[in-house]
Amino acid sequence: MSGRIKRHTIIEVLEHWVMAVSGIVLLFTGLGCLPLFKRYYIAEIPGFAWTGDFNTVTTVHYTASIFFLMVVVFHIFYHSIRKEFGLLPKKGDVKNGIRVVLAMIGIGKEPPSDKYLPEQRIAYVGIGIIILLLTVTGVIKILKNLEWIVLSPICESVNTMVHTLTGFLFMIAFIVHVAIVLLFKSNWPLLKSMFTGWIDEDYARHRHSIWYEKVKGKPEDKGISEIEVKETCREGGDTCQQK
Amino acid sequence: MDITRRGFFLISTGLLSSLIIKENAHAVEGRYATLVDITRCDGCSSEQIPKCVEACREQNRKRFPEPKKPILPYWPRKTYEDWSDRRDKIDTLTPYNWIFVQKATIEGRDIFIPRRCMHCDNPPCVRGCPFGALTKRPQGNSVINEGLCFGGAKCRDVCPWHIPQRQAGVGIYLHMLPKYAGGGVMYKCDLCKDRIEKGEEPACVVACRQRLKDNAVFTFGERRDIYGLAKQRKEKEGLYLYGDIQNGGTSTLYLSKVPFEAINRALIEKKDRFKMPVDVKNKIQTTFNPIGKAVLSMGFMGMAGAIVGAIISKRVHKGGDEDVRKD
Repeated sequence: MSGRIKRHTIIEVLEHWVMAVSGIVLLFTGLGCLPLFKRYYIAEIPGFAWTGDFNTVTTVHYTASIFFLMVVVFHIFYHSIRKEFGLLPKKGDVKNGIRVVLAMIGIGKEPPSDKYLPEQRIAYVGIGIIILLLTVTGVIKILKNLEWIVLSPICESVNTMVHTLTGFLFMIAFIVHVAIVLLFKSNWPLLKSMFTGWIDEDYARHRHSIWYEKVKGKPEDKGISEIEVKETCREGGDTCQQK
Repeated sequence: MDITRRGFFLISTGLLSSLIIKENAHAVEGRYATLVDITRCDGCSSEQIPKCVEACREQNRKRFPEPKKPILPYWPRKTYEDWSDRRDKIDTLTPYNWIFVQKATIEGRDIFIPRRCMHCDNPPCVRGCPFGALTKRPQGNSVINEGLCFGGAKCRDVCPWHIPQRQAGVGIYLHMLPKYAGGGVMYKCDLCKDRIEKGEEPACVVACRQRLKDNAVFTFGERRDIYGLAKQRKEKEGLYLYGDIQNGGTSTLYLSKVPFEAINRALIEKKDRFKMPVDVKNKIQTTFNPIGKAVLSMGFMGMAGAIVGAIISKRVHKGGDEDVRKD
């Protein structure tokens, strides 16, 4: 039986899921801020009457954005300070990304990958830009509702429109992200690692060979791998036995 | 010249602010206000049509909707809002009638109340429109951009007085997915935006004064003067004031001899579409803004947590996994 390699720290796992849950709530209530749910009978589903009331929907939207903004800001600062830029695109990612996607549907062979797949790095920047635009325009909306800034009529219109349109882009990006993970079996171990933080050694060796070599190959990195294992044991999981 | 990082930040902020804040933007309240003295309004009983209504219709006739027929229902619903066959209706607000004179009977006496958009200081319609079709102007008026409005009618739902009115079969939605999204264009009083930008008074104000001279129902002017006048008359004549605190403050003040609670009760009894509730909270101020402050605070907390967390974790992994983490 193969061992396991630590892929994500608990902080990264938390970042992902806080963003995912608050993002889903924001998407749903964001759609509710458009006049949709009453027209499409959603508000008539038992338990969903609140979706027909703009004040309630906006209150939930605002509340979810507490967590969303916090995690966006945390993500930017935490990983920048730690100089963790592995998710930023590299040269050749477009070509290799296409090869990865083609391999998912059974055409050709996947190129060797680092910790992240090339297509993941491209997707990260895409969704990152969308999230940044949503966050900035959302914060501007909060500030002008607080009357801490006064926007000229044109700026207020443009800001609102950018927020609404990027909201739609976020919805598309979210659907594509979830679909790619769920529809292709080759991605399922990645989903598991997004919950546990750990990934099968075999999987890492095959799909992320460059990263695997870095973790396993260099003598000094073996030490790091052990540190990671010990750290997880300290965090109180049974995971230390999985090694 | 060398620019320090701090200097660059200050210059950028300054430039950005100049884009955001117009020099003549009257922060929140807007420049003008209207006093509507209903102690003087007789509903133009001797006229065929109230003068303010007539002037408003004349002023805005060119902007009235000309819907393309047949009009599609709002799928999956089977309904749609079409006022185009009732253009002559003047006793309520419609897309073709942006002001009307409401009648309420209290203790056997008739009271006449000209009703139109209140032009709130922090208007829920403007703040809530998902397409940015509504804007608040420095003059204090809230304006619908007919070219951007999808006709979802959210503005009507969030307006405490449900003022904006919808006409289907017109607007930008016809060019997108007319069957599935959008419902027309919303229409309401914009305080004669083109006139007041030129320094002229709204058409209704002028028409009323032409009939009643010094005893006119409407007084339009600088907000500070209008608020001062309203409060002075309230004190001196023992009148009741409406619009100064409702929904967090508006640019339209009503003066009445009868308490507005009684007027509202009469309107409720009459089952009028448009009421005058006295206790009107501005949801943006009372509900959303406290959460907004929490959002901003937690943003800063996220930053602080990230800095502290990153420094601590770096110490824990001293001499550690740079190569791996750099990927």
